[in-house]
Amino acid sequence: MAAGETPIRGWRGLLFVGVLSTFVALFIAFALLLIMADVLYIDWQSVLNVMTSGFVGHALWMSLWTSAVTVILSVLFAVPMGYILSRFRFPGHVVVDSFVDLPIVFPPVVVGLTLLVFFTQTPIGRLIESTGFEFIFQPKGIVLCQFVVAASFAIRSSISTFDEIDRRLESVALTLGCTYWKGFLKVSLPLARNGIVAGAILTWARAFGLFGPLMIFVGSFRGRTEVLSTTVFLEQSVGHLEEALAVALLLVTVAMLCLIAIRLVGGRAIRL
Amino acid sequence: MIQAENISLRAGEFYLNHVSLQVQKGEYFVLLGPPGSGKTLFLEALCGLRRLESGTIYIDGRDVSGMEPRFRMIGYVPQDYALFPHRSVRKNISFGLEAAGLSNAEIERRVDEIVDWLNLGYLLHRSIEGLSGGERQKVALGRALVIRPRVLLLDEPVSALDESTRESVCRQLKHIQGELGLATIHVCHHLQEAFSVADRAGILKKGEFQQVGTLEDLTMRPINTFVANFMRCRNILSGKVLGPSDREGWTVVETGEQRFSIPGTYTGTLDLIIRPDRIRIERNRDSIHDPVLRIPGVIRRIADQGAYLQVELDASFPLILHAIREELAGMNLLPGTETTALVRPENIHVLVNAE
Repeated sequence: MAAGETPIRGWRGLLFVGVLSTFVALFIAFALLLIMADVLYIDWQSVLNVMTSGFVGHALWMSLWTSAVTVILSVLFAVPMGYILSRFRFPGHVVVDSFVDLPIVFPPVVVGLTLLVFFTQTPIGRLIESTGFEFIFQPKGIVLCQFVVAASFAIRSSISTFDEIDRRLESVALTLGCTYWKGFLKVSLPLARNGIVAGAILTWARAFGLFGPLMIFVGSFRGRTEVLSTTVFLEQSVGHLEEALAVALLLVTVAMLCLIAIRLVGGRAIRL
Repeated sequence: MIQAENISLRAGEFYLNHVSLQVQKGEYFVLLGPPGSGKTLFLEALCGLRRLESGTIYIDGRDVSGMEPRFRMIGYVPQDYALFPHRSVRKNISFGLEAAGLSNAEIERRVDEIVDWLNLGYLLHRSIEGLSGGERQKVALGRALVIRPRVLLLDEPVSALDESTRESVCRQLKHIQGELGLATIHVCHHLQEAFSVADRAGILKKGEFQQVGTLEDLTMRPINTFVANFMRCRNILSGKVLGPSDREGWTVVETGEQRFSIPGTYTGTLDLIIRPDRIRIERNRDSIHDPVLRIPGVIRRIADQGAYLQVELDASFPLILHAIREELAGMNLLPGTETTALVRPENIHVLVNAE
């Protein structure tokens, strides 16, 4: 066994790696046990029913596209915000920086409630809804909930990434004839790519499995605003426990496949 | 030509205080100073990477103080080179040409020109990650020179290199600068490096120039104890002025228990230097009758420095002198031997400014 380029030798080395690896093994074993419990509980007829069901297919499609749009929106905000918060100090910087993390510690259900209050009880919210750009009980609302809950992961990751990039690289780019824009696009952004992708993965993972705020803000209307996580809830609430678990397994499988695919495409540099 | 006129700027707690400097076209200026003295900050200010509080920067007579860095045409090689890790060697070198929007054919021609000149051909398609310190330095230099700058600013360009490479790279830098006739400022804190390239040098301390001049000026005529210490002058002594000497225009000074006259008129206290290579030594305390300063003492240690012997003498103050072997041959000098150090008063340098 080797740690990077350094070979592990002697019993002390093996003990060191062994102790640390035990935690990895325990974590994976526990997660696998949970999944196995589901797998052993369900009957395969339920799985077949779920896989061939039109509403599950719709929920899967809804989960995939809304989470993808959320990721795109989040990265769109994360890159400029990350750069500004990393590179510039301004009055209130600490407050803005803390604000970024607020949705991470906020209970997701509260996000749903807050959005509902905003769009039903405030003049601005009502104005937006009345212009035809509706969010409540609409697929757009799913994206909004996911964005509010998950965008912070992309932004935080982006800040950390820009923090790690040597500012002198940008300075040299300026002396070599770049405008600030060009320096950003030719130096900072390419170097931040891995961190931005890592943040996007976290955002997607959070958005894909989101449940709480969706139930409050967009509900779970079959064939309209239903996503996989709400399907699980709907199925178990009407006593279809096996179908609920089958959908849950589908959700886990799709998530796992997506995460592995992103890592393989992104290469070894993309580490969360 | 680049000229900084009374530039001041603040960076956190650090303050660059009314710094002025002029480096002519074709001149190689070395900026010396201990770490944290503001050398890098000064270069960044010249590049336009720092906002000035006051002062003006001219390049070839044109005020560039308010200009963006890209318009200043400065070739900047920062400390540790700051090469772009996501671009190959070729793409690093061509970066400035791409930014200028030159055609691909022109970029290729200019890159090939600089690559041939710096002998970088074998590195061209390598990634930055695997390059040695010397190779990185060359690539950074190529990247800075390919834009055909009017001024070259080098921030510790050889500090990451081993001693033997450092010497040859310094020779190469001097050669390149001479060929291109660029006004060059080279930051370093190694004296040897400065001696190998500098036409002129300046020493910064806490954001202020202590002294600017030729290296001979700095070494032989340091202005204060900081410069003297930085230039590794030995025998820096503090003295008290006792009054005018019998000889007109001379002053009697006391240091330790030693009284002597030096040329010039001084009052109060002063610092002075007796250069080790300007001190002679005699075996017998009483053999000298010449009008020189005689400093009796006992040899504490003799250290072989290769080209010369360093003799440490316990006199009324500790004294170090350098002597060539032939000079001491036959004198049978050993630690513990009583002897007399001889100094001509003209060779005593008075530090005129308090630090």
